[in-house]
Amino acid sequence: MAGSSVNPGKRHGIIALNRRRQWYGFLFVLPAFLFIFAFMLYPVVYSLYMSLHQYNYVFDPSPVFAGFDNYVKALKDPTFRRALENTIVFSFFYFVLVMAVSLVIALMLFHVRRFQSFFRTAIFMPIVVPVSLSALVFLWILQENYGLLNYLLRDVLGWTALARPWLNEGPTAMASIIGVSLWATIGFETILFLGGMQALSREMLEAAVVDGADGIRRIFYVILPNLKETYVITGIWAILHGLKVFVEPNVMTNGGPGNATLVVYQEVYYNAFNRFEMGYASAEAYILAILALAFSLLNMYVNRAKD
Amino acid sequence: MKSKWIDGFMYTVLGFASLFFITPLLYVVLTSFKTENEIFRVPQSLLPDALYTGNYEAIFKASNSFLRYFANSTIITVTGVFIVLVLSALAGYGFARLPFRGSGVMLAAILMTITIPLAVFLVPIYLMEDAWGILNTNLGLILPNVAVVLPFAIFIMRANYIGIPKELEEAALIDGCGIFRTWWNIMLPLVKNGSVIVIIHAFYNIWGEYTLAKSLATKPDAMPLTVGLTLFKGEVWAFGMLSSVIVLSMLPPIIIFLIFQKQLIEGISQGAVKG
Repeated sequence: MAGSSVNPGKRHGIIALNRRRQWYGFLFVLPAFLFIFAFMLYPVVYSLYMSLHQYNYVFDPSPVFAGFDNYVKALKDPTFRRALENTIVFSFFYFVLVMAVSLVIALMLFHVRRFQSFFRTAIFMPIVVPVSLSALVFLWILQENYGLLNYLLRDVLGWTALARPWLNEGPTAMASIIGVSLWATIGFETILFLGGMQALSREMLEAAVVDGADGIRRIFYVILPNLKETYVITGIWAILHGLKVFVEPNVMTNGGPGNATLVVYQEVYYNAFNRFEMGYASAEAYILAILALAFSLLNMYVNRAKD
Repeated sequence: MKSKWIDGFMYTVLGFASLFFITPLLYVVLTSFKTENEIFRVPQSLLPDALYTGNYEAIFKASNSFLRYFANSTIITVTGVFIVLVLSALAGYGFARLPFRGSGVMLAAILMTITIPLAVFLVPIYLMEDAWGILNTNLGLILPNVAVVLPFAIFIMRANYIGIPKELEEAALIDGCGIFRTWWNIMLPLVKNGSVIVIIHAFYNIWGEYTLAKSLATKPDAMPLTVGLTLFKGEVWAFGMLSSVIVLSMLPPIIIFLIFQKQLIEGISQGAVKG
């Protein structure tokens, strides 16, 4: 078989070889593509179809076409609107905080020389811990009577007034979930920022020092204005992460108290797998996806407009 | 003078940040060696009075389902990582070096899936798996997990193949080496670095995966530990036992992190994507 590439009619041989390479390329890609097609590409389309139908998996024999009814119903439903509102509140605070804190930590890690590996190991470690397990640990840390946080506030620092049942009140429950999400992902965003800084050219950084821009000045005049691409990447990632939040509220509060921490993702999950309203849940998921797309495009646009 | 002050400030802030990130992990380890009485003592002490191992012994009692969850997670993760590695090593080469009609569109479609929230896929995957009868099985979690991790893995492998000089491959082909054998004998050994990145990322994504498992494995017997352990938080807080199983569940990803930190960071900065 290998001998066929050594062909007396050279031109013909190259064409044959080329065709065979194309054919092989297809075969190399095919198994992976089948997986992605079956579990992602096909579901995206199927989910769109589903979202335009009324379909309760337990009661309805088959999906019935309903046009945009599910979308209209969702956008009018107070529970879904509350979930949407909570998701946007979560995303906003998460986005601002994760971007600011990660950027500051990355700048510091970029600057300091000693204890680098210790700092990095400690700050990056939460990335690899399964989020649902971190959520369980924080559930205990935030526990009113036996939790670590109230112990530190009450018994170590003496700020008794600050100790409270964190997850039993709406605002502090939301703040707790944002906090856990930050704990779990700041390391990830810090790595992205650090990568952006390390990609800056050495000459540029050294020239800045020669010009007298050292320390703080170098940060504001040289490093920060040149991280544009990194802002887009970290920004999109943070927005998507915020809109997709699910594990922390699902494990820690299950949307409560009341609906104070109910997010869209949980609404989708609840309607799909507790009520089996597959059509309605799909419409809710699509609203979330459209939101994610819109915000990512906005982020890209804003960062491009700065040029 | 001034910069010394700034340095001191930075070291202090980074020190506190490190403490913030490491404390919850250390705390659960310390708690796992405390007795029930110590855990519910007010005010508590951070260090356990003595190295109590009862929480770990409790894992091996017959009524404890942790070993079941752990076995499920191990099977799902090991199989999943293996399939991801093989398929991405193949597909990455195809996309990098053997372009065919439509391969560009295919690659774009694959990479596009990364930005779509998983919520959109859940209902169709559930209906499909129910029709195939693989809900509540390990297979039912392996398949979608592989699909979710694959786009990132293909992206990494493709970039690695593109970095190899073309001459090597051409020389092999001229020597009469077939396409498949060129890939296996010559190209594959050169993308070791990419493979390690793929293995690590696939490992911790699948090991830590919660959403698919929560939707597709509703019977305790089929649950991986990310979902199974949340059942331990009941009305009664047996946090001693819970903390010991959490420690054991966090250990594999943390050990891998300590060994392969460099590759983990490389993978994140190259792909900028996480399931």
